[in-house]
Amino acid sequence: MTPAGRARSWDNSPVALLRLDGDGRILDANDTFLAWAGGDGPGERPDVRGRRLSDLLTVGGRIYWETHLAPFLTLQGRVDEVAVELRTPAGPLPVLLSLVARRDERQAVVDVALFAARERVRFDRELVAARTAAEEAAERLHWVHDALTVLSRAATVPQVEQALTDSVARHPAIAAAALHAVGAGHGGPGQGRAGHGGEALATGDDAIQGGTAGGAVVVPVAGTGETYAHLEVTLHGRPGDPPLDHEALRTIAQQGGVALERALLHEQSVSVAHELQRAMLTQDLPSDGQVEVLAEYRPAVSGLEVGGDWYDAFPVDDTTLAVAVGDVVGHGLHAATAMGQLRTATRALAAPGLGPAGTLGLVDQFVARRKVGYASTLVYAELDTVVGTLRYACAGHLPPLLVRVDGTVEYLWGGRSSPLGVPAGGGLRAEGEVRLAPGDVVLFYTDGVVERRDRRLRDGLDQLARVAARRDPVDEGDVLGQFFDLEANQRDDACVLHVAWRGTGAVPAVEVPADVGAVAGLGS
Amino acid sequence: MHTSHRSTVHHGGAPAQPAGVCPAARPGQGRRGRLAGPPTVALPYCDRVTLRERHNVKLSGLPDGTPMVFAHGFGCDQSMWRLVAPAFEADHHVVLFDHAGAGGAHPDAYDAERHATLDGYADDVVDLLDELALGPVVFAGHSVSATIGILAAARRPDLFERLVLVGPSPRYIDDDGYRGGFSAEEIDELLATMETNYLGWSAVMAPAIMGNPDRPELGSELTELFCRTDPKVAHRFARATFLSDNRADLAAVRTPSLVVQCREDVIAPVEVGRYVHENLAGSEFALIDAVGHCPNLSAPDELVGAMREYLTV
Repeated sequence: MTPAGRARSWDNSPVALLRLDGDGRILDANDTFLAWAGGDGPGERPDVRGRRLSDLLTVGGRIYWETHLAPFLTLQGRVDEVAVELRTPAGPLPVLLSLVARRDERQAVVDVALFAARERVRFDRELVAARTAAEEAAERLHWVHDALTVLSRAATVPQVEQALTDSVARHPAIAAAALHAVGAGHGGPGQGRAGHGGEALATGDDAIQGGTAGGAVVVPVAGTGETYAHLEVTLHGRPGDPPLDHEALRTIAQQGGVALERALLHEQSVSVAHELQRAMLTQDLPSDGQVEVLAEYRPAVSGLEVGGDWYDAFPVDDTTLAVAVGDVVGHGLHAATAMGQLRTATRALAAPGLGPAGTLGLVDQFVARRKVGYASTLVYAELDTVVGTLRYACAGHLPPLLVRVDGTVEYLWGGRSSPLGVPAGGGLRAEGEVRLAPGDVVLFYTDGVVERRDRRLRDGLDQLARVAARRDPVDEGDVLGQFFDLEANQRDDACVLHVAWRGTGAVPAVEVPADVGAVAGLGS
Repeated sequence: MHTSHRSTVHHGGAPAQPAGVCPAARPGQGRRGRLAGPPTVALPYCDRVTLRERHNVKLSGLPDGTPMVFAHGFGCDQSMWRLVAPAFEADHHVVLFDHAGAGGAHPDAYDAERHATLDGYADDVVDLLDELALGPVVFAGHSVSATIGILAAARRPDLFERLVLVGPSPRYIDDDGYRGGFSAEEIDELLATMETNYLGWSAVMAPAIMGNPDRPELGSELTELFCRTDPKVAHRFARATFLSDNRADLAAVRTPSLVVQCREDVIAPVEVGRYVHENLAGSEFALIDAVGHCPNLSAPDELVGAMREYLTV
């Protein structure tokens, strides 16, 4: 090609071509570039020599040039296909920019090619918008999903409130989240971590209030019907923070409302069950000069379930005191009603002369006939308050603990048979008997007293025995409190019935057969 | 005196572990996007990786020399200093590092929460200097790292002997009676430009770096990870950089400093450099004959000269 042909190709090239010096100043530009850059009038060609190419770009491209392109060019020698915009009289022209640095005889030179890229850039922008939308959707899903997971694990009202504020506050743009009870203004059931009193927040039913510039956003926390609270979100307002997705926030708040509603309903039902159970437990335990009965019942700490533990003590005749401690299978209202029926049945069926094994046999029939309390456990005992003879029968229940006045302790492992409703061998219940000395105590209890998730039942029984053995008999303050293991499984109810026989010491000792099981069998 | 700060190293004073002890990628942890990870933990990384490893620290020069830390600006990594740092190796203990989210920094070093403001980056610098325990350092910060150095020096003057602030700007956006050089809309435009260019950036840049017949002196190691930045991180770093206002922090600095200003710089114009100088007690001002925002690459000799003159006084 002739030099003239080269020159024509330079000027008429479909791409804009430039030569820059090491500082990015234009040494030469082809006609295509000059036509794009435009002059003062139509068809005029501006004089761009000596100007920096970055100055001819829009601001975004200029900053990008200074912070990215110039360093890359120095370090790599070239930059390819960078999208920037050229300032032209007709408005910004999207171009793709390629740069190659070289050194000619005298100085550093940069060769530049600019491709007009209106369509390409429009397409790129659509792609970027689509990608941004997809990423935001993914972020939103993550946030909402994580929040829903936490909310689904929260059972009680405080847990739901905590879960809601915590999961909302996980958003990096959010400094704090607090709940305000409806009508209570600030200081309601708040779980917020940042104090934020003072300004009144107008709250609409369904609209997000407030700005987002480092301020607060308020959304309603509503269930299927009513609004329970307002969730107030305080933003950091830091420059690097991602934008807050209001729709996602509203979704989380709404799900929080549903969870709150569920928790409130559940707590109501639990409270009814607890109330029912308390009402059914005997309040006035018989005590006289010869025998003293104390009882303590501790509901599960988590407060969610009614466990179905029960106890009772009542006179069978003038000299016989019946005591019973049972544990109904299951939880909740159902267990509470079952224990009420079992307790009433036991009280009604116990009769003079029947004895523990006989009484259990009748209760067994009740369970089978009425289909109530199947597989529940029950220890039933009768104490002769005059001579101190204790006859007892354990239907699958933990053994009573005998605490002698001299401090020795002994589990009463006699009189054991299967849980209620589960056929006992030969249709008869076993029975044990022990003779108490004045001052002796027998403890009846449920598994919540000795069971702990991290140890064997045997170890729990040993611990109860140790506590009972060293107990100070003079301490009248909290006689029963010491028996409850604070580390025991507190998700379960626990109860202890403490029967102390004072006796008179005047009754002559009588030889008692080792085993008198089934002495009072059914109708035989 | 500096050794008294050793105890504040952030991982229980555990002895430095060899590099690579911490798995670089832990599936299902920590890298799930900006909402991942517990928000209140300051350093949610594998606790067996030292900050030195996390920030890809490179030590060179005289171990007994005055320690000199080079901090890179927005847009690149420690290679920004490759034409300047070697000039100080003969008489300084030279420290190069990458900010979280930049260059060869550990992927877990970046935390959306911590690095939402420049304060998080300043905390990184303080933590890193505490761990390195080199004594008071000369801190050379370019561009946004000048501001980061200002914040760090205000927080812990004991760690800094002098500051060299190259192209500093405490606020890029114009304000009443202050000209930073940009309007808020223009910064949005920058973010949009970055967005468009990061489309396929990681795929395009690597091959472009391959082979560089015209600049053989730069070597081929550039093909590795030069200036590679996660687009998301770059976008947030840009926001933290260009939307911050740190003018009020200048008054808290007592460390002697040098403001190096390029004759022509659209990112940090001369009047911004003068503003920093006038509001920074104990600062000196050096106007160098350089064009653009990166004299460390475009005019390394002038920059080195200005720094040497200042440091030898």
